Amino acid sequence: MDPIILAEVTGNLNTVGYGLAAIGPGIGIGIVAGKTVEAMARQPELAGRLQVTMFLGIAFTELLAFIGVALFFLG
Amino acid sequence: MTANKIFRTALIWGGVIAVLIGVVGAIIGWNIDGSVGLTSALIGAVVGAAFLSITAASILFANRYAASDMYVTIFFGVVLGGWLLKFVLFLVLAIVLRDQPWINLLILFTSVIASAVATLVVDTIIVMKGRVPYTAPSVAGDGTENAS
Repeated sequence: MDPIILAEVTGNLNTVGYGLAAIGPGIGIGIVAGKTVEAMARQPELAGRLQVTMFLGIAFTELLAFIGVALFFLG
Repeated sequence: MTANKIFRTALIWGGVIAVLIGVVGAIIGWNIDGSVGLTSALIGAVVGAAFLSITAASILFANRYAASDMYVTIFFGVVLGGWLLKFVLFLVLAIVLRDQPWINLLILFTSVIASAVATLVVDTIIVMKGRVPYTAPSVAGDGTENAS
């Protein structure tokens, strides 16, 4: 190993990109689902409305993930 | 009480918009890369819309158990399980299609993103226009008779 190189990365950097792209949506979907569970536990009669809002939250979060994964394959 | 009507509308309009994106994408893909571009654009449109619609479909499926005592558990198990399964499927599909000679990756993923964004826009409009009442009379056979 060349003593001048202190650190080197081998392999495909896109994989690291996919890992980074998975963090955001992972946190996002966790917050969306967790808060919906909390709200449904507090007011079960509002489940229908909460589901609709959650559906929108999931859709936005997963779009971010889709774009991240798609760019991973394009790069 | 559930909001199945909105999810059904979202599924139907998601399908309509996927067909529209597929037609437009196919024309653009054909002009860029011939039949390879056309195939890629069509597959991308179907994948993008189908994967975004899985959420609505999983919620509709989970709402069949609205009368169950375990409803909340079943609901989140089905919806989040479907979400995870969808991403695994998407990754497998992308890995399989990546090296195929009849696929143009740029057109495929542009089409996936276009289709997903379009479906999201349609979903947002439907949710904003959809009216979910606080209470609703139960309809026999919809599984919500004893739902709280």
